[in-house]
Amino acid sequence: MNNDTYNPKKVDRGIILDPRTKLLYLITITTFALGGAGGKRCEILIPVLCMVPFLLLLSAKRFRTALVGIILFAGSSVLLEYANALSMGGLLYYLILGSCGILGRFLPVVMMGRYLMESSTVSEFTKAMKKLHVSDKVIIPLSVMFRFFPTVIDEAESISAAMKMRGISLGGKHASRIIEYRMVPLMTCCVNIGEELSAAALTRGLGGDVDRTNICKIGFHVQDYVSIILCLVPWALLIMDVII
Amino acid sequence: MDGVMTRKKTTEKLGGKDLINIGIYAAIYCVIMTAISMLGFIPIMMPMLSVLCPLIGGITMMLFYTKVKKFGMITIITIIIGAFLWVTGMGYWPFIFGIVCGVIADLVAKMGNYSSKKMTALSHGIMNITIFGCFLPLYLDINGYFSTRTSFGSEYVEALTKIFRPWTAPIILACSFVFGILGALLGMYFLKKHFEKAGIV
Repeated sequence: MNNDTYNPKKVDRGIILDPRTKLLYLITITTFALGGAGGKRCEILIPVLCMVPFLLLLSAKRFRTALVGIILFAGSSVLLEYANALSMGGLLYYLILGSCGILGRFLPVVMMGRYLMESSTVSEFTKAMKKLHVSDKVIIPLSVMFRFFPTVIDEAESISAAMKMRGISLGGKHASRIIEYRMVPLMTCCVNIGEELSAAALTRGLGGDVDRTNICKIGFHVQDYVSIILCLVPWALLIMDVII
Repeated sequence: MDGVMTRKKTTEKLGGKDLINIGIYAAIYCVIMTAISMLGFIPIMMPMLSVLCPLIGGITMMLFYTKVKKFGMITIITIIIGAFLWVTGMGYWPFIFGIVCGVIADLVAKMGNYSSKKMTALSHGIMNITIFGCFLPLYLDINGYFSTRTSFGSEYVEALTKIFRPWTAPIILACSFVFGILGALLGMYFLKKHFEKAGIV
């Protein structure tokens, strides 16, 4: 795995947002753009919220990621409109719907998640969670997950490639063995990597009795306040909906 | 009988290694769940998620259960999975379900001292009720749910409305529970067949 991608210190980060703001963005986008909470009143805000991750990626000079994202997002929306306008039916319709539905709905969230992962280090994330007064018992598993996701996906891809060669894939010769032949190696190697990771983390004092210190400087700036206000609008609308 | 032992166990704090284990297994579980959930775009497959997720996730979870020796680990992993489902767009219900089901599942597993096979299977079944939380908004307000999802196309919505009649709610709930237990049994079988030989457990 390319180390630079997950080590933001070396790369340009563009607008520096507090990790807490990023988390707020992620939750707001997933609740309103993906989950569709709030109903009609929030509909005007959804495109704005959907564009935020792309803008953030652009500001962080991730031009390729942002561009691919925007093209996919626009393309899927256009295709969906097209399919709906022609009122297509049958298998083709489902295929278009499946791919576009996934893309259109999930892309902003995936992009936001990607931005969150790429633009903040594990220690910044830990510090932000600590400032939110989250218990250590949740912070440590979350920071391990944060670090471990790319590894699991990487391993799963390699295993899937190896198994495809032996015909153990959807539509392959031995499709029925898919679960056993993919899950077992994945679990085995992830557990082994995990053991090493936990040994490494323990040597660095994670989970000790003493509070860990953290030298990351995080805090709210103008861009954070603007973002927070933008995120709070749909929540306020939702709460008003519930009360009234 | 072993009142002293149990009290000692509850006051025992979760160590760093336990918490790291939670993180590792939660990461594996979430990746697998995301891969399975991609099938949800074929309307018939959507209720099938309540079958597939517990069944396949059972393998991961049984491996995790072998590491559980203290109260709190199952609670935390269920809450994290619920939060992950929330962040990936299933609404906030799985998160609420995760807190409740996690505590109950943990208590059940604790009754079997984290080693009884029956209690482990039952606990895994209860844990998987969290997945029912993803479907709850569909039953609470099906028209409201789809008024904002017209982009999915009317056919998809119609197919889903046909599938999610109110009487299917208890079936899905029961499905996630029963297949949670079956998934646990499958996981135990795999543990015996593969992981014990490889020396992982």
